[in-house]
Amino acid sequence: MADEATRQAVSQIPLLKTHAGPRDRALWPQRLKEEYQALIRFVEQNKGADNDWFRLESNADGTRWTGTCWFIHELLRYEFRLEFDIPVTYPVTAPEVAVPELDGKTAKMYRGGKICLTDHFAPLWARNAPRFGLAHLMALGLGPWLAVEVPDLISKGLVVHKEQQRDAAAE
Amino acid sequence: MAADWEEIRRLAADFQRAQFTDTVQRLSERNCIEIISKLVQDKKLDVLHTLDGKEYITPAQISREIRDELYVHGGRINIVDLQQIINVDWVHVENRASDIAKSDKGVQLVLGQLIDDTYLDRLAEEVNDKLQEAGLISIAELCKNYDLPGDFLSEELSKRLGKLIQGEMDQYNRGVIFTPAFVARHKARIRGLFSAITRPTPVSSMIGAFGFQEHLLYSVLEELVNTGRLKGSVVGGRQDKAVYIPDIYAKTQNTWVDSFLKQNGYLEFDALVRLGIPDPSSYIKKRFKSNKLLFLRAACVGQALVDQVEASVEEAVNSDTWTDIQPILPSCLSMEDVGILINQAMRNTNVQSSARVLGGTVVVSEKFISNCLSVFDEAMQQKAQKEVKNNPVFLISEDDMKQASMLTESLAPSKKEKREAERRKKASEGSGSVKSGGGGNAREIRIRKTKKKGRKDEDSDEDTGPSQQNRSKQTEALFMAQKEIAAVLEERVTDCPEEILSELAEHLLRPLSKAYQEVLRTVFMSSTSSPSGANKKKSMKDLQEEITNLYNNIRLFEKGTKFFSDETQVHISKHVLKTLCTDVTNILVNFLAADLMMSVENPSTISNEVRLKILGKLSEDTKGPLMKLHNCLNGKTIEDFLTNIETCAEVCGFMLKKGDKKKERQALFLHRQALTEQLKDTEDPALVLHLTSVLLFQASTHCMLHAPGRCVPQIIGTLTGRIPTEQQQLLSAYQSLVVKQLVSQSQSRKQEEAQGEADKAEEQDEEAGSVRTQLMGLTPQVKDLVLSQKKTPGTED
Repeated sequence: MADEATRQAVSQIPLLKTHAGPRDRALWPQRLKEEYQALIRFVEQNKGADNDWFRLESNADGTRWTGTCWFIHELLRYEFRLEFDIPVTYPVTAPEVAVPELDGKTAKMYRGGKICLTDHFAPLWARNAPRFGLAHLMALGLGPWLAVEVPDLISKGLVVHKEQQRDAAAE
Repeated sequence: MAADWEEIRRLAADFQRAQFTDTVQRLSERNCIEIISKLVQDKKLDVLHTLDGKEYITPAQISREIRDELYVHGGRINIVDLQQIINVDWVHVENRASDIAKSDKGVQLVLGQLIDDTYLDRLAEEVNDKLQEAGLISIAELCKNYDLPGDFLSEELSKRLGKLIQGEMDQYNRGVIFTPAFVARHKARIRGLFSAITRPTPVSSMIGAFGFQEHLLYSVLEELVNTGRLKGSVVGGRQDKAVYIPDIYAKTQNTWVDSFLKQNGYLEFDALVRLGIPDPSSYIKKRFKSNKLLFLRAACVGQALVDQVEASVEEAVNSDTWTDIQPILPSCLSMEDVGILINQAMRNTNVQSSARVLGGTVVVSEKFISNCLSVFDEAMQQKAQKEVKNNPVFLISEDDMKQASMLTESLAPSKKEKREAERRKKASEGSGSVKSGGGGNAREIRIRKTKKKGRKDEDSDEDTGPSQQNRSKQTEALFMAQKEIAAVLEERVTDCPEEILSELAEHLLRPLSKAYQEVLRTVFMSSTSSPSGANKKKSMKDLQEEITNLYNNIRLFEKGTKFFSDETQVHISKHVLKTLCTDVTNILVNFLAADLMMSVENPSTISNEVRLKILGKLSEDTKGPLMKLHNCLNGKTIEDFLTNIETCAEVCGFMLKKGDKKKERQALFLHRQALTEQLKDTEDPALVLHLTSVLLFQASTHCMLHAPGRCVPQIIGTLTGRIPTEQQQLLSAYQSLVVKQLVSQSQSRKQEEAQGEADKAEEQDEEAGSVRTQLMGLTPQVKDLVLSQKKTPGTED
């Protein structure tokens, strides 16, 4: 499912304790706190390993998350916007991550740019609910998906590195 | 609650902060690899990466590690193992290893393994230990144990021989190392063993029996023999067939050979081989350098023996006799060797031209041979005389001479011919020359009878036939057959072995027949001149009379034939032509031949061929008519012959008088008289029947008849009606009996040939016996038919 490094990284992410969805007014903040702590830890960890690959921020009540993710292929950086909502049944159900830019370009995607996670991810998530959080979602869900799909899309020519100038300008 | 959200906000802010803090500036692994590979590409850095790609290593480090590993592994390490340990690419390891081997004298690269001197020293020590223990060690074994090439090992070990290894290497075989102690032990064993040997022994068998080291054995043996420690010698070099011969054996051998030669005067190679001397002739040559030995094929002979042979040969030559060398010579010499020896002796004594070797071992002086030749002189003279008398046609020509001599020779001595001649003479004496016709007739009958009588006679008849042919094929006129010569020699020369005689006879055969021919020629030349003119005249008169008589007889006989049917007539005519007419012709031819000095004593012996030969020699004017005459002898009618003979007689100068009545009657009478005489004498039923029937015919028809025996039935047939019936019956009964007897005789002969069953033969015998007795009974009656009748015509006359 994921390489040894990912596994290593995931094992470092603290597991969540609070079983609460966004509807659970009393415990949701508690859960959200834990989510943030996990995310912070994951990001720090990534940065420590020189493996920073996404930015995330949520709305006020923490039910909608947006940001960007990028993938480096052949020394070029491909960046995509990403967004997802926390489902009502969270944390039993995993959020559906969407990469709208790639909508219609790959078969492994639902309408609206929602990525189609592997068969392995869903049972893994189900087994580990409610201890898995958003950090796990990124590490085990989006990360591997990008690693598989992006090089494929690039080789097919569906994704072109046109942001190179913009990157250069941004820097 | 609010506090919670506050905290959440703070956490969100923390999260953002965490996200936007600069990532630690740190080269990732892939960047490092990229950078280094770039550097290596630009040759700015000289490093190698390990096989798993996790580490980089400098070549110097590899060398160092190789050295360390070599040390750790005790001075010997396989490059493959090194490569696994150092974990860099094989090519680099190998390069570094070979660099090390090149640069460092103490390290060598052998079969993909690095080996240093310490290892080799230790190996040498180990080898030394083993060597001291076993006394001998082979490089091949070491190769197997240490898994190192033999050349390398032997080189390295030989470097350390005497230093680390207390031992030595065999100089002939570099594959083995042994200790001085071992060598000494070995030497002692070899010394002991070979000292004990008293007879030739193959070295290889010793190796097998006592487990010697082959290479060591030979060198030690050589050394021992050379220093004189071992009394003996090794024959056959260093191969498998090498044989050790102790001096003591050689000594006994030599004494045996010496004494044998001394005692017997010869040496047989076979005997030497049996003694164990492999190459006898070279051995003898070496051993008896000073002695003059004669080498033969399978033996050599001493001077004494040769002298003896020479002496006896010389003696034989000087005394004009022969000598058999065989008794003087040892019995073991082969015929070939004896021949060589005798030839040598003859060469030495210079008698090759005056002596001859017969039968392989007998030396005969040429004088003896010529003496033998002279033995035959007398016999030759006699025989030549006889031969010339018998046949003058000898010298007609070279070829003819041969053939004719064959013929006469084969005919003359044959008993039959002699008997015939005798009988013929008697007949002519008894009945006078006029009666020769009847005599001829009787002879014909007799021949026929004898032929049928028994096988023996026929055989002899047949014998003369083929032998005649065979002999005519031979190129030379034979004086005597080889056997005859041998027989004569045996009488004259005493105590000569038979085979020598026969060989001598073979030798003599040619010179004798040559000499014989010479003698023959001279005898002939001298004899032909003898007939004188007066003699000739007288004989001319006689001949005229004889021819006339015969001529008249023939005419009378011809008349007689007229009584018969055509077929029988032809038979009888032919018979007459063959007998009487041939006689007349022969007399004529012989007469003419006498002019050419070719006459024969007895004209009747002239055969068809001889006659033809003589005719060929005659002059043209006489040749023509006589040729015609000769040809008509083979014809069918007597008339032709009669006309021809008249012309011939004219040509030859004879007068043929045709007989008048009186003379005819006289002839008739004389003929009958002769036949009657013969009839009285004979007991043979067939002849009795023949004569009787002929006489009866003459009596009844007053015609003379000269018919062959097989015409008897026809004669009897013509007699029918001319003689009384009882006589007729008697005759036919007698005839049938005669026929029966003849048939049974011929059958019994056939049975003898086929070796038929005894019963049948007995039956036949019985039957034949009864027929015989009946015939015996009838014979006097039949005879009486004529003899009693004789009176009647006699009175009539």
